[in-house]
Amino acid sequence: MTHGAHEAVTTSARPSAYGLAAFRGGLHLRKLAAGAVLPLLVILLWQLAGTGGSLFGGVLPTPDRVASAWYTWAFGNRGMGMNPYSGSWFDSVVFSTTRVLQGFAVALLVGIPTGIMIGWNRLVAGAVDPALQMLRPIPITAWLPFAIAVFGISSIGAVFLIALGVFYPVVINTTQGARHVERNLVRAAQMMGASRLDILLRVVIPASLPSIFTGVRIGLGTGWTAVIVAEMIAVKSGLGYVLWDAYYLGRMDVVIADMATIGIMGLLSDQLILMIERYALSWRLVNSNR
Amino acid sequence: MARIEISSLAKVYPGPKPVNALDHVSLDVAEGEFIALLGPSGCGKSTLLNILAGFESKTEGEVRFDGQPVGKAGPDRGVVFQEAALFPWLTVFDNVTFGPRMQGVAKPVYEKIAHDMLALVGLKDFAQAYPSQLSGGMRQRVGIARVLVMKPRALLMDEPFGALDAQTRLSMQELLLEVWQRLKTTVVFVTHDIDEAVLLADRVCIMSARPARIARQIAIDLPRPRSIDDLTTPAFIRYKAEIMQVMRDAHPAKAIAAE
Repeated sequence: MTHGAHEAVTTSARPSAYGLAAFRGGLHLRKLAAGAVLPLLVILLWQLAGTGGSLFGGVLPTPDRVASAWYTWAFGNRGMGMNPYSGSWFDSVVFSTTRVLQGFAVALLVGIPTGIMIGWNRLVAGAVDPALQMLRPIPITAWLPFAIAVFGISSIGAVFLIALGVFYPVVINTTQGARHVERNLVRAAQMMGASRLDILLRVVIPASLPSIFTGVRIGLGTGWTAVIVAEMIAVKSGLGYVLWDAYYLGRMDVVIADMATIGIMGLLSDQLILMIERYALSWRLVNSNR
Repeated sequence: MARIEISSLAKVYPGPKPVNALDHVSLDVAEGEFIALLGPSGCGKSTLLNILAGFESKTEGEVRFDGQPVGKAGPDRGVVFQEAALFPWLTVFDNVTFGPRMQGVAKPVYEKIAHDMLALVGLKDFAQAYPSQLSGGMRQRVGIARVLVMKPRALLMDEPFGALDAQTRLSMQELLLEVWQRLKTTVVFVTHDIDEAVLLADRVCIMSARPARIARQIAIDLPRPRSIDDLTTPAFIRYKAEIMQVMRDAHPAKAIAAE
């Protein structure tokens, strides 16, 4: 039987034509180079404007001063020189990242199953959704006094705030995904003899994955916001704590180095999630070669 | 005994303005018979198929399958959907073996059947491809193969080729004729395409406008095996003319515009 031949000619879809990773890699580098132009230009102008004169009455340090403060912060000897944070950069990064990861893990462990159940089961939706919608408008910053009162000045309070911040976008997007699973996919599974549990595990969850990842990426942004806010007030360590402390000490060079660090960590963690998403949803991306 | 017996089946969708989709439809389908339900879009023929499949409940009447009232959907009635409805996260092979895996069939058994069915629909080289890499026609071949691996006692097809281009549709119709010639499964085939109905079916049931009734049943006595060459024979064209006349009476103006 030769039915395949006629159509295979008209559609260039061939199972052997999957890989274009190499091509994508080349594109990626060029994109990266193009994206670096604007920031470099800003840094250069900023340096030129600050040299010889003073930016905003000397409040704003030039990039070279920021770089040298950053270097001391990262590699200086502890407790030496004018920089009280000397040598503590790695610790701060680890503190903050750990908190984000912990809050993130809690939010995903609670948020994804909750979202799936709300989207899939009308009873759960009726019982849980109204309460969620009522709590959601309260911004995580408004939860700060509550967190401090309940957990004290501790890491747990920060993790609670982060988990809360990540939880909402994850649960809302997961709900959307589970609620809008294509009806015929569920019917097809029923027709092939799948049980309700099979449908949940093999149809609803995979069909919701794209929405779940959307929620996770939005949640990651909220997570970094939450960790900085929490560390400014509710904990005495981490990038947020250093940021606020350095501001009080008038160390704007450290403040800016800290801001840049947060930006880099946010970008790296987002890229990491994107990589996981590309892997998990490779079935969706393979058609880009047509 | 007929394999499918539908008697006085009615379906009303409740609501502020209740919609009468089916108005006491009666129809028997014999073992191994190929039946086409023909009518314009929205006339209720898909509702009838969905009730047969167990996806929707009936309001009144009786639907029996092998003598038993139809219950919820199951592998004895294989459904082929209009847009194939494949799981996009599974490879072609995993899509085709989904049914047997759900029913606990042993791996060596279903692997062999799946390979046979993929060969039958001309896709054995595409077992590891994802649905997003296939054309519409190829996806529908997978949709047919994944139903055939379950050895269903009836095939329910809901405008399976309606979304395909004309040429692909012809090759899919030929494929289906070949498969049916071999397996002789009972088929209920929903379509709005007169050529398709006459080419494939032993009997064409023309549905009236909503609320749907069966306006007329026409037995197609063209010899088998058939092929797309039959589309231009005088006998074929006579059936087509007769059906068009019935449709014109059943759906003034609208039916002809839909073609």
